[in-house]
Amino acid sequence: MRQLTEEETKTLFSKLAHYTGRSLNSLVAPTDGGPQMVFRLQGSRVYYMPLAIANLATSIPRDNLLSAGTQMGKFTKTGKFRLNLTCLDVVAPHARYKLWIKANGEMPFLYGGNVVKAHVGRWSEDCPEHSGVIVYNQDDTPLGFGGNISLGRLNMRELTNGQIVSARATQEAKKLDPTGIVLFRQADVGEYLREEDTLFTT
Amino acid sequence: MAPTRGSSSKGSSSKGSSSKGSSSGGGSKGSVKGKTSNFSSDSRVSKSSKKNAPKRPPPKEVKSKARTAPENLQKKKKRVYTEAELDLPKLNSITPVGVIKPKGKKKGKTFVDDSEGMMTILAMVNAEKEGQIESKMMKARQLEEIREARKNEMESRIAEKKGKLEAVKDTIRNKKKGGKPGAKDESSPAASKSSGSKFSKPKRKSVSFA
Repeated sequence: MRQLTEEETKTLFSKLAHYTGRSLNSLVAPTDGGPQMVFRLQGSRVYYMPLAIANLATSIPRDNLLSAGTQMGKFTKTGKFRLNLTCLDVVAPHARYKLWIKANGEMPFLYGGNVVKAHVGRWSEDCPEHSGVIVYNQDDTPLGFGGNISLGRLNMRELTNGQIVSARATQEAKKLDPTGIVLFRQADVGEYLREEDTLFTT
Repeated sequence: MAPTRGSSSKGSSSKGSSSKGSSSGGGSKGSVKGKTSNFSSDSRVSKSSKKNAPKRPPPKEVKSKARTAPENLQKKKKRVYTEAELDLPKLNSITPVGVIKPKGKKKGKTFVDDSEGMMTILAMVNAEKEGQIESKMMKARQLEEIREARKNEMESRIAEKKGKLEAVKDTIRNKKKGGKPGAKDESSPAASKSSGSKFSKPKRKSVSFA
């Protein structure tokens, strides 16, 4: 387990900033009376934990250490960063764009489906296309996140040509028909059951 | 050097000669020499050298130290040429262009440990992200404006076309009104019925689709 290098830190933060706003600072800076939180790399996985736990973890050999703190995601071999579902609880309080789905849309989303316009309760205004969005249910419980908000306008020409739904902004989603995909799913809490075997494998 | 060598040979050879002499039975020679009975042929040679010594020049020492002496080995230091001095073409060198790392720089990764460093990186990333979002929003707004403008243009064009068509229709109708009804019947026998009915009931004509 080691600290992140400058480049890795930049990659991680730029990915997190995709979903969160300015308040991301509070992830790094110690809150009032709270412990200082740090990011640590174990293998290719990044974990978020209090400094005290990170210091304790140094006494465990690298091969034996499976996990410590909250797993944020992993670095791919090409150097990109993939957020894991487990980071949802860390990211959700600082979300930049939010989307609340109706009760009838919860199940389709938790089974791995994309969010269609008919299932959207409400969403953040002024949301540009291809931005990260956190999905909540009506009780404000974070259910997952969608990478691209694609509040796509499905016009007839696109349907007849069989083209991929183009990603559009919030304003355009208003013109969308009810079955049009509004958000592409990236992670949902249903994965805890569906991907139970592989979620924490390194 | 030479005299010392001679002395050493003397000592070593003396033993061998004595044994030889005893085996061969040449004891007379030793007796002739008198006291130095254990002197052999080697000793004689040395004697002769002693005789010639004044004639020869004294042996000169050519080398003060052996080539393999540590001092000699240390002294030789080859000049090291820098890359610039060699002036080799860049493609011909071993290290490819762009891979050369600055000398004297610390090897390995530089970790971001302190929160201050992290905050600076975070601030940079945030600024970059916000700039991106801002530009995206601007772009989206512009695109929306363009789309609206295009839509309006299309609508106006369609309206214009419709108006033109209507105008043409009106002119035709007017012509029909003014022209002879018999001529129309000849040209289009299919429409003769309708035209005939129109003529009989001019009020309905305005309602019907041309």
